[in-house]
Amino acid sequence: MASFGWKRKAGEKVSKATVQLFEAEAEAEVKGAVHGEGDDEVDWLHAIKRRKEVLLEDCAAKSKRLKDEGALLAEEGRHWEAVKRWDEAIQLTPEDASLYEMKSQVLTILQEVFQAVQAAEMAVKFRPLWWEAWQTLGRAQLSLGEVDLAVRNFQVAIHLCPAERPLWEDDLCWAQKLQRQSKVSREKAKEEEEVKRQLLDAPELIPDYDFESDEVVAACETVAERQKRYDSLRKTTVLIDSSGALVTAKNEDDPTPPQDQYVKARGL
Amino acid sequence: MLKHGTKLRQDPAVNAEIVKETWSFFHLKFKMTTQYSILFKQEHAHDDAIWTTAWGQNEKDRTETIITGSLDDTVKVWKWSEEKLELQWTLENHQLGVVSVDISHNGALAASSSLDANIRLWDLESGKQIKSMDAGPVDAWTVAFSPDSRYIATGSHLGKVNIFGIESGKKEHSLDTRGKFILSIAYSPDGKYLASGAIDGIINIFDIATGKLLHTLEGHAMPIRSLTFSPDSQLLVTASDDGYIKIYDVQHANLAGTLSGHGSWVLNVAFSPDNTHFVSSSSDKSVKVWDASSRTCLNTFFDHQDQVWSVKYNVDGSKIVSAGDDRAIHIYDCPM
Repeated sequence: MASFGWKRKAGEKVSKATVQLFEAEAEAEVKGAVHGEGDDEVDWLHAIKRRKEVLLEDCAAKSKRLKDEGALLAEEGRHWEAVKRWDEAIQLTPEDASLYEMKSQVLTILQEVFQAVQAAEMAVKFRPLWWEAWQTLGRAQLSLGEVDLAVRNFQVAIHLCPAERPLWEDDLCWAQKLQRQSKVSREKAKEEEEVKRQLLDAPELIPDYDFESDEVVAACETVAERQKRYDSLRKTTVLIDSSGALVTAKNEDDPTPPQDQYVKARGL
Repeated sequence: MLKHGTKLRQDPAVNAEIVKETWSFFHLKFKMTTQYSILFKQEHAHDDAIWTTAWGQNEKDRTETIITGSLDDTVKVWKWSEEKLELQWTLENHQLGVVSVDISHNGALAASSSLDANIRLWDLESGKQIKSMDAGPVDAWTVAFSPDSRYIATGSHLGKVNIFGIESGKKEHSLDTRGKFILSIAYSPDGKYLASGAIDGIINIFDIATGKLLHTLEGHAMPIRSLTFSPDSQLLVTASDDGYIKIYDVQHANLAGTLSGHGSWVLNVAFSPDNTHFVSSSSDKSVKVWDASSRTCLNTFFDHQDQVWSVKYNVDGSKIVSAGDDRAIHIYDCPM
């Protein structure tokens, strides 16, 4: 029997004796089963092969169904259920970038930021020319606080599809603002640290000094001056106004408690 | 048993090998290449993906310069001498990724455009910025020097081709395609035409003297990321995300050929100064050299690890440079 090639190929890799032994045993088992049950004959030897082919086709279709279900659930705001559907779909078709991308969007909404970044990274890995995957990755990184990476990945998205205006006007523009803000805050924190350090070990405070001298007065004055600077620094916060300009605002004294109550109690 | 030496000398295969070796030695010595080969690799040329390259030659001292622009916000100027690259300048004024670079025809100036919407002009000898031109948001993409190097053309998002004067540093003319975002720009070497390729696959050819739109070609249905004229200005070659390269006859606006072979987006095309070859690069990680008359692929380089965004010939057509997402610059040898 030399008509069909599958079995022969499989046999070439395994030793011939083993194959023969296995087939003989399997046949004996099948016969035994037939004798035992008596009814439907199942050809186990070949059934395995056939089942795999059927399964392959099924995976794509089932994954598609799960993907659509997930999308519907996400639209209805049932985000966790959507993620579950997509996870199942990913098991079936692990290289479908759109599943990871949608999952990332929903995880960002759910504030599961780290997982959102991981999902988006898979999406760009499987479809590196898809600008929307890069946008989603950037957005996920932005919510994780990775501003520099977000700016980089929004640029990749723009480079792939520069005609997409929201990428320029919303994503990149906003990420750049945050980048500037974090830069200014970092500088401010550094300055604050420096002033604090000087305050704690002031060079003017020499161990043996004459209480009567002017030196002590001068030293006290400089220390007081530093203290004032430190306080004023601590009261400034970095803000960005709507036009994108940076503002360092001074907080007035201590924050006063709000005058009106946030939650109003309703009489029962 | 026979002695090794006597037996092997008579083997015709070994003799052929010896002849071949002698020939390759001869070619190496006299720089006569008979086949395409990779000559030099500069790994980690930038800190991030390289998006654009240009190859120029200084008119006075004949030195060859390669410049590269990257997502790491910098433009790097490299000197090509004695078969290797030497970093000359790192230009850091851009605030965002550098999309396009070009070198003027006398080799003295370079232009670069960035996502930060600025076009910058550089003096290649000193590495200093000469001018910065604000193109307006979203309005600086591919930059191209005019053949007389007095102007720079760039596309804009509203389908206008803006032409900046090098002397004035200002926008002096504007050609309207009434189309979509213009990704690619090319001047014909004879200075007569300017071609633009848009994100929707439409190609426009303008007459520069009158500023009139001569032809509109609906060649591709997907973005055209690069186009190039042949040195005799008779042919226009276009590269698109649809994976095809098309060749047009400029005067009659006829499609002269469609070439397939790349497995993904064609990102860049450049014509050889010999007027018969051109080279293309793709996101399938390959660089292909084509023969324009027979429309066949002569050689494929599979040396990059990632998408190849840019490819250019040197001035005499003996070398090709390519660079891409893997941050490497490759130089190839071409048979002359």
